[in-house]
Parts: sequence; structure tokens; C-alpha cells
Amino acid sequence: MDIWNSLLQGFATAGTPINLMWAFIGCALGTAVGVLPGIGPATAVAMLLPITAKVDATASMIFFAGIYYGAMYGGSTTSILLNTPGETATMVTAMEGNKMAKNGRAGAALATSAIGSFVAGTIATVLVTLFAPFVADQAVKLGPPEYFMLMLLAFTTVSAVLGQSTVRGLTALFVGLAAGLVGMDQITGQARYTGGVPELLDGVEIVLVAVGLFAVAEALHAVLFEGKVAESENKMSRVTMSARDWKRSIPAWLRGTAIGAPFGCIPAGGTEIPTFLSYAAEKKLAKGENLAEFGTKGAIEGVAGPEAANNATVTAALIPLLTLGIPVSNTTAILLGAFQNYGIQPGPQLFTTSASLVWALIASLYIGNVMLLILNLPLVGLWVKLLKVPKPQLYAGILIFATVGAYGMRQSAFDLFLLYGIGVLGLVMRRFNFPTAPVVVGMILGPLAEAQLRNAMSIGEGSAMVFLQRPVSLALLVIVVAVLVLPRLMKKRGVVLS
Amino acid sequence: MKSNLTSADRSFQTCVAAGVVAVGLAMAAGAFTIPSAAGYAGVGPNFLPWVVSIALVVCGGFMLYEAQTGGFRDMEAQDADAPRPYWGGFVWMSAGLLLNAALITTIGFIFSCALCFVLAARGLRLAGGQEVSGSRAWAADTVTGLLIAAPVFWMFTKFLAINLPGITSTGWL
Repeated sequence: MDIWNSLLQGFATAGTPINLMWAFIGCALGTAVGVLPGIGPATAVAMLLPITAKVDATASMIFFAGIYYGAMYGGSTTSILLNTPGETATMVTAMEGNKMAKNGRAGAALATSAIGSFVAGTIATVLVTLFAPFVADQAVKLGPPEYFMLMLLAFTTVSAVLGQSTVRGLTALFVGLAAGLVGMDQITGQARYTGGVPELLDGVEIVLVAVGLFAVAEALHAVLFEGKVAESENKMSRVTMSARDWKRSIPAWLRGTAIGAPFGCIPAGGTEIPTFLSYAAEKKLAKGENLAEFGTKGAIEGVAGPEAANNATVTAALIPLLTLGIPVSNTTAILLGAFQNYGIQPGPQLFTTSASLVWALIASLYIGNVMLLILNLPLVGLWVKLLKVPKPQLYAGILIFATVGAYGMRQSAFDLFLLYGIGVLGLVMRRFNFPTAPVVVGMILGPLAEAQLRNAMSIGEGSAMVFLQRPVSLALLVIVVAVLVLPRLMKKRGVVLS
Repeated sequence: MKSNLTSADRSFQTCVAAGVVAVGLAMAAGAFTIPSAAGYAGVGPNFLPWVVSIALVVCGGFMLYEAQTGGFRDMEAQDADAPRPYWGGFVWMSAGLLLNAALITTIGFIFSCALCFVLAARGLRLAGGQEVSGSRAWAADTVTGLLIAAPVFWMFTKFLAINLPGITSTGWL
């Protein structure tokens, strides 16, 4: 019962008043940024990265994780109540959730998404508890060639599979890799692309890139293009579920979890695919009256399933992050950056070198999910008020927080000019449909992947054959190629997802 | 397929693609200056820079081709009646952000951020077509900006001990 003991230890650490406070603030803040349009968990965590300078590692990771999965709870509130498409993760929820809300069933939709998030989040946390140590044990056996291939897989899925255009995804990825190159080479200590500026030896700050690309670009986009966009809000109703709602929701939650969790475990990134699959599955399984509600009055399964899938994916994504050090989304990439600020490198050794931190983090997931259930079910009315914050004040306020994040990291006013420049770049990217996740993932994972590549080549004594001679590495390479080629073949044959 | 692409759209897209090529070329120029120092690995610190610069030039070149032959592929469908970009608001917000960057060390975090807030909010109000001629909107935004900036400043300087610039060194203003 090694895991059991470790977990109890984790609860002891996470249960101290100060850590409980951080978990609570994280969950509350996460819900808030999930509800508020224009700011997401990645932005929020990035803005708050400066606190890593003062707050101890365990507390701040509990805090950041709270923001990370709390935002998934809050996001559904917005997508159900507002008639504007929100983040991609909640787009599927919006399809049926909006219809339900229009028919006076907003309360039931909110309830099923909050409880579904709790069920899925908790089940996925159990999976993290059971499997993460096992994966870490196995991952110790992986060498640099395998690691490099895993990272290559993460790069491929995040840039070429998600998003509409492969070429724009790849461009974004390489821009991120280019940003990651600035600074001192990890292996030889060679300065690269610093232009003789000493500040650049440490590399480009993640905070600047993330806050610039998300927060500033979002605000600039809003002022340029969204001024006249009319928003309408659906009426709230009592947050309860009838017996029939329960009967329809429970299987949908479980199916959503079963679909979502595996997607989080593999470095395949994003919640779009699992939420969409869950929606398709629910629609397919629905019969008679229930089926008729899809797309008309709004079917509760169509909210319950995708919401559960969403949360299961997000929580399970902590497995590759903690055991392999591989992030597959904006927010997990920034969480990795937070670990790095403490000089901690997530990976298989994390469970031995930083055991108390990891287990406290896992224990806090259980605690946080309970907190979030309370925050989002009885107190949902509180968050709904946030939707009433007028746009001008909301975006202008976000800019103040962006300043804190960008300036607080290095105390340099120059960074604020840079922040504006990156914001304009993000605006251009958004306008021309470039995805942003590859930039952030490329920038953070790039230097690690480069080190693995060069170590692997050293093992192969300068020959790239090393990637083909080792079975695991070869298998991963085949998967990378399949991920790149298969969707194209399917498109050619006219197979349409859905 | 994208015959409705306006010439302005096309030249914008060409600019973006050319920009990517330019970044790739700049990266290549930088890569020349990095010694190879490959050692046992056969790939040294200049390997990834070369990969990145070549990839960016190739991607940029491909997008140039796309821009010339009907525009970028697989773009999100843009509504025909999509609103025109509102550059006035963009100027207001940019002014706020840039003044903030220029003034933060002289007039301190609170006032500098409040100024940024007021200018950005003005841009957004104008973008939304609000009536903002009177002094009430100015006053309201100034107060709101101060009410956000000041507590944020105190929270970070007092509770988290993160240095943010103030006019005084007390950490209160």
C-alpha cells in the first residue's frame, strides 16, 4: 500500500490551513477566469507566475492547479448562459446547453455540468493517483531517444492535428521554438540569439509571451473587432435536476469520463476531440424523446457527457505532465514553466525527488474538486453576476493584471514594451487563424527536446539511426508519422468526423 | 474557392507570409554566428537554429504561394457583414499600454496602470458605440482604474513581497 501511504502523506501536506487556503483561492480564481470571457486559465496562471519567486513550491503548485481545473468548471457557466461561443473546450457544451437555457432549463444544465465535472474530475484524479506512479516507474526506463520521440509526438499533435491548417500550426510551432532558442544553450553554454543583451541569456520570459499572446492580444482584438457584437444572456432558473435528469445524466457522465480520460493520458493535446466524441456518442445512443431534444429543446446528455469528458481530459493530462514532463496544452505548458521556476523538472524522477510536492498536489485535486462542487452548485449565482461586468472595464482591468505579470517577473519596463509587441503579434496570429498553443508549447518544450535530441545523438555516436534501432523509439516514430498522414488520407476518402 | 478574397486581404496575407520568411532568414543569419561544437553528438548548438530557420522559410514560402493563389486555406469562415476594424479604439488602447510602459517607473504602478485603464476603457467604450462625451465616463473610469490598481499593488507588494514600482518606496503608493 505504498500509494495509499504516500497519498495520506499528501493529504497531510495539502490539508494544512495555509495550503487549503491556496487551494481555495486557486479554485475560486479558476472559476472566475473560467466564467469571464477574455481571460482563461493559461493567462491567469501566466500572470501569476511572478509569485513563484516568493511562495513555496507546494503551495503555488496547488494554487496553479486549482486555477487550471477550476477554469473548466467556470467555463461551462459562460457557455450555457451566454449566447456567444466561448473557448474551444466549452463549445460543445454550448450547443445543447444554450438550447436548454433558452427553454428555461439553465439551472438543470448548470447542475449537470457542475456535478458531471465533479464526478469526472474525481474519477480522473483516482486514475492519476493509481497510474501516475506506475507510469513514472516505467518512464525511468526511457532514454533520450524515446523522450525526444515523445516530445516530437507532442509537437506534432499540438501543431498539425489541432487547428485548421497544418502549415499555420507548424509556423506557430517554429516561432515558439525560435523564441525558445534565445538564451544560453543548455549543453554547451553557448549564447544564442542574445544580441549581446545580458538579460536575454536567461531566455525570453514565458510570462511575457503567454500574457502577450493571450491577454493583450485578446484585448486588442476586442477593441478592434468586437465593439458592436451584441451579447444576450439567458435567464437563470433554479439549479436543480429532476429524477429524469439524473437518470439521463449519470450514464453520460461516466461515458464522458471514459472517453476523456484516455485522451488526457496520451500526449495528443486538447479537449476538442474528446468533448466532440462524447457529444457524438451521446447523440448516437439517445433514443425517442431524448433524441428529439438534441438541437431543439436541448438534451441534458449533450451537456453532461462533454462536460465530464472535458474535465476528465484536463485532469488526466496531469499524468504526462508530471511523469514525463510533457505538456500538451497552453495551460499545462505554463504549469511546466512554473515547475521550472523552482528548478524542478517534471519527469519520472519527480515522484522520488519531490515526492511530498507531487502527492500534496494530487491530494489537493481531491480537495479542490469538492471545493469546486460547492463553489459551482450552491454559489453559482455569484459567478453569474460576473457575466454582468461590462466589456470596457473587463478588458481594461485585464490589462492591469497583465502589467503585474509582465513587470513583476523581472522588474523591467522594457518588458512592457515587449509585451505590447507580442500582443500585436498575437492579434495578427488571431486574425489569420494561427493557433497559439504551438507557440507556447514549442517555446517551453523546445529547449528540453533539443537537449534530448543531442543526448540521443551522442548515444548513437552521431548517427540518427539510434532512433530506429530502439523498439520504443521506433514505435513512437511510427505513431508520429501516422498522426501526420492518417487524417489526410481520411480527408481524401471523404470520411467526415461526425 | 476563395474568390471573394479582397485585394486588401490578399496583400495582408502576403505581408504575414513574407514576415515569416523574413524571421526565418533572420534566424539563419544568426545561426551562421553559432559555432557547431558538435562533439560526440554530431549535432551541436547550431543544429536546431538551422532547422528552425529552414522550416520557417519553407512555411512562409508555402503561405506566400497560398496567398497568391486564392488566399490562405482552411480559414474560419468570415461573415460577409463582419464589422470593419475600429482603428480608433486600437489607437486608444495602444496609447494606454505604451504610456504605461513608458511611465511606470516614474509615476509608479498605481497611477500608470490607472492611466492605462482609462485609455483602454475609452477605446473599448468608443468601439462599442457608447456616448462618452461628458466628463462622467472619464471620472468613472479613473476611479475604477484606481480601485483596481491600488489593491492589486498592495496585494503584490505587501502580501507577496513582489517589487512593483511606486512613487514612494513605502510600498503603499
